[in-house]
Amino acid sequence: MVVPLNTWVLISNFKLAYNLLRRPDGTFNRHLAEFLDRKVPANANPIDGVFSFDVIVDRATNLLCRIYRPSDTDEPPNVVPVIVFFHGGSFAHSSANSAIYDTLCRRLVGLCRAVVVSVNYRRAPEHRYPCAYDDGWTVLNWVKSRAWLESTDSKVHIFLAGDSSGGNIAHHVALKAAESESGIEVLGNILLNPMFGGELRTESEKRLDGKYFVSVQDRDWYWRAFLPDGADRDHPACNPFGPKAASLEGVKFPKSLVVVAGLDLVQDWQMAYVEGLKKAGQQVKDLYLEKATIGFYLLPNNAHFHTVMDEIKKFVSSNC
Amino acid sequence: MVPYETAAIPIANPPATSSSTTTTAISKPPEIDGLLAGAGYKVRSSDLRHVAQRLERLETAMLNSPSQHLSLLASDAVLYNPSDLSTWVDSLLSELNQSQSLPSLPSDLSDLVSNPTALDGSWMDQQLPPPTAAIHNQQPSQLTVVEEDSGIRLVHMLMTCAEYVQRGELSLAGSLIQDMQSLLTRVNTGCGIGKVAGCFIDALGRRVFAAGGGGGIPGSAYETEILYHHFYEACPYLKFAHFTANQAILEAFDGHDCVHVVDFNLMHGLQWPALIQALALRPGGPPTLRLTGIGPPSPDGRDSLREIGLRLAELARSVNVRFAFRGVAASRLEDVKPWMLQVNPKEAVAVNSIMQLHKLLAGPAPIEAVLGWIRSLNPKIVTVVEHEADHNQPGFLDRFTESLYYYSTMFDSLDACALQPEKALAEVYIQREICNVVSCEGSARLERHEPLARWRERLGRAGFRPLHLGSNAFKQASMLLTLFSAEGYCVEENEGCLTLGWHSRPLIAASAWHALPETAAVSPDVAVVGGAVM
Repeated sequence: MVVPLNTWVLISNFKLAYNLLRRPDGTFNRHLAEFLDRKVPANANPIDGVFSFDVIVDRATNLLCRIYRPSDTDEPPNVVPVIVFFHGGSFAHSSANSAIYDTLCRRLVGLCRAVVVSVNYRRAPEHRYPCAYDDGWTVLNWVKSRAWLESTDSKVHIFLAGDSSGGNIAHHVALKAAESESGIEVLGNILLNPMFGGELRTESEKRLDGKYFVSVQDRDWYWRAFLPDGADRDHPACNPFGPKAASLEGVKFPKSLVVVAGLDLVQDWQMAYVEGLKKAGQQVKDLYLEKATIGFYLLPNNAHFHTVMDEIKKFVSSNC
Repeated sequence: MVPYETAAIPIANPPATSSSTTTTAISKPPEIDGLLAGAGYKVRSSDLRHVAQRLERLETAMLNSPSQHLSLLASDAVLYNPSDLSTWVDSLLSELNQSQSLPSLPSDLSDLVSNPTALDGSWMDQQLPPPTAAIHNQQPSQLTVVEEDSGIRLVHMLMTCAEYVQRGELSLAGSLIQDMQSLLTRVNTGCGIGKVAGCFIDALGRRVFAAGGGGGIPGSAYETEILYHHFYEACPYLKFAHFTANQAILEAFDGHDCVHVVDFNLMHGLQWPALIQALALRPGGPPTLRLTGIGPPSPDGRDSLREIGLRLAELARSVNVRFAFRGVAASRLEDVKPWMLQVNPKEAVAVNSIMQLHKLLAGPAPIEAVLGWIRSLNPKIVTVVEHEADHNQPGFLDRFTESLYYYSTMFDSLDACALQPEKALAEVYIQREICNVVSCEGSARLERHEPLARWRERLGRAGFRPLHLGSNAFKQASMLLTLFSAEGYCVEENEGCLTLGWHSRPLIAASAWHALPETAAVSPDVAVVGGAVM
């Protein structure tokens, strides 16, 4: 099992830098985190057919989104999907303007002929549950009401997507949409290595602890930073099909594409999530990539990357 | 430990559709790993293996360090340029291997900075109210859907008008300007898109309707100084520039007893009280400080440069810093000759340019000449702050578009300011810049902003090498912002330089440089020869 050298360097660098940022007392060295994060500004001039601009969705919380659009002047298709994207970072790291996520969002535009709305949600530990979910919900409502995001049928065709903590956020925002009688229809959820957990120590967590860039200890830290004080990892935010969660049966939940990396220690929770959706009668496709580590989708230098991109494309286009 | 490929990997430069997304991407040398570059890291492909090994070493070192040591490393060590992964990893490794922590020069400065009113306000003629720490975020009136649409229409019309101007179709441009002016009456011009649009429509009008081409807003040097001062108070851009430059200058002057700062635009000397104070508190005592301030000549017989110098001298005296001031009056920076600065070969020289170098870009000669004589002064440090924008493109439409986005963002950040009349006059200050960018040409167009990437190239070609601004400057700049300003401002690190922006759009960039010693033959005209050793 081998990782390409440049991926190894990238993810190891993140791992070691992140070790410096998490303090044992649960606080986070935010200044150093922002200093280290490689960011790129938005660019209204198209690069490789995609241009981007930043929009303030809510001044009260400084909630920003970066919008990515295709710049081709060909006849736009009747339906342009809008993918609301939540970047990863275990709820504490990264931003919508982080270079790795800017790159990923640009790829999604080209791949799905979509508009991508990347949400700069508030992060832990400064902003715990439910801030990130609230920000996602605010953006979802905002996206729904933008006339300029409508397809020719005067409706906004919305998908939610995210990796790591972003995948977790996508689930919870979709859930809120389904349960809130808002009339907001989410057409599909795309979850890449979504971040879920629970009090139990699963087999994959024990087997893979510390082996592929991630440790159980750091996962625990991030949950403690995100979940409310006094909550444990069976809180429904962390464990949506756990003992404290409400059933999803009968809920009009969108179809889901869940991508699981075979070398991610969290995979047992991710597979449990897939099972949970199935048992609740929800439509879900899981894509299990045996030899993938976390972050495999950040650089296009491995076969799994291309497999996943194809699946995402099919998933989004099957509604359009 | 995760194994990585040990066989030789062909350089996986991806097809054009994937990696390079940095906006100021200059073509990188082919040996840099393209995929990592897209993630913001510069590593040569041939170095990847070495970097990987160092990362493994670093991991082991971190595992073997007590966690307090790691926390200390994270908060106290000064780290530089995370994009240069190789150097970054090595510096972390050496930090971990050192037992002593670094001397705490920065914390002295932060004590000073947290009480700025004592420095800036007390000695000034005009008793401007001190910057209030809590600037209430004004809720702008809710934009109605109609307004949002009108706003978008205005932007489209502005772009169309700019295109007409570029194509020379001035009568079409003119009638569109009139249409826009009437549409403006239906939009709130007090804030948001209406305010910015108003400035650009005005600027286009001056360009299109002015007789004899190019109608900038006339103004005296005195007016300019007043507007500048209000811009300084209303938003943090200039404070950030001064603070970051001073931090770098302070570090560069460490260990020198005779120091000389050359300020390319003295204005009211707002930058210098903080530096004087910091030098006064330097462990081991302050150096002798000379300040040479360059500024426009005063028309009415006043010697405003000297007046500012006198006030600074008073301040220096009050904190026991031996100080001398010299004013150099020049209408344009290119009129200054190095002998006017009277630099002494034994001094450590700092050249400080806040938003001045771009004014030299009307042709290639002035900037090269000035950079040349800066270099001949053999400065310990050259601090440069410039607008992070591309407002010097040859095509009018491109310039117009860039500046529309840039100044929209800047106006948006000003919306958060509650101080009056600072805010109103700051807006006038910005409006004048917009006018210059849009309606002037040739030597009248002074606001020729170029982005950091291009300044890096220029300064590199002129024989300067970067001095990286580190994590301590970054952290203090971030903290300064939370003291002074509304939320929404953000400091970012960009390969050893720091940028300040609003809501993730960098608006100004601060960098520091030093000159490689000149090996060329002595030029008899120049007072200071490059061979002089500091």
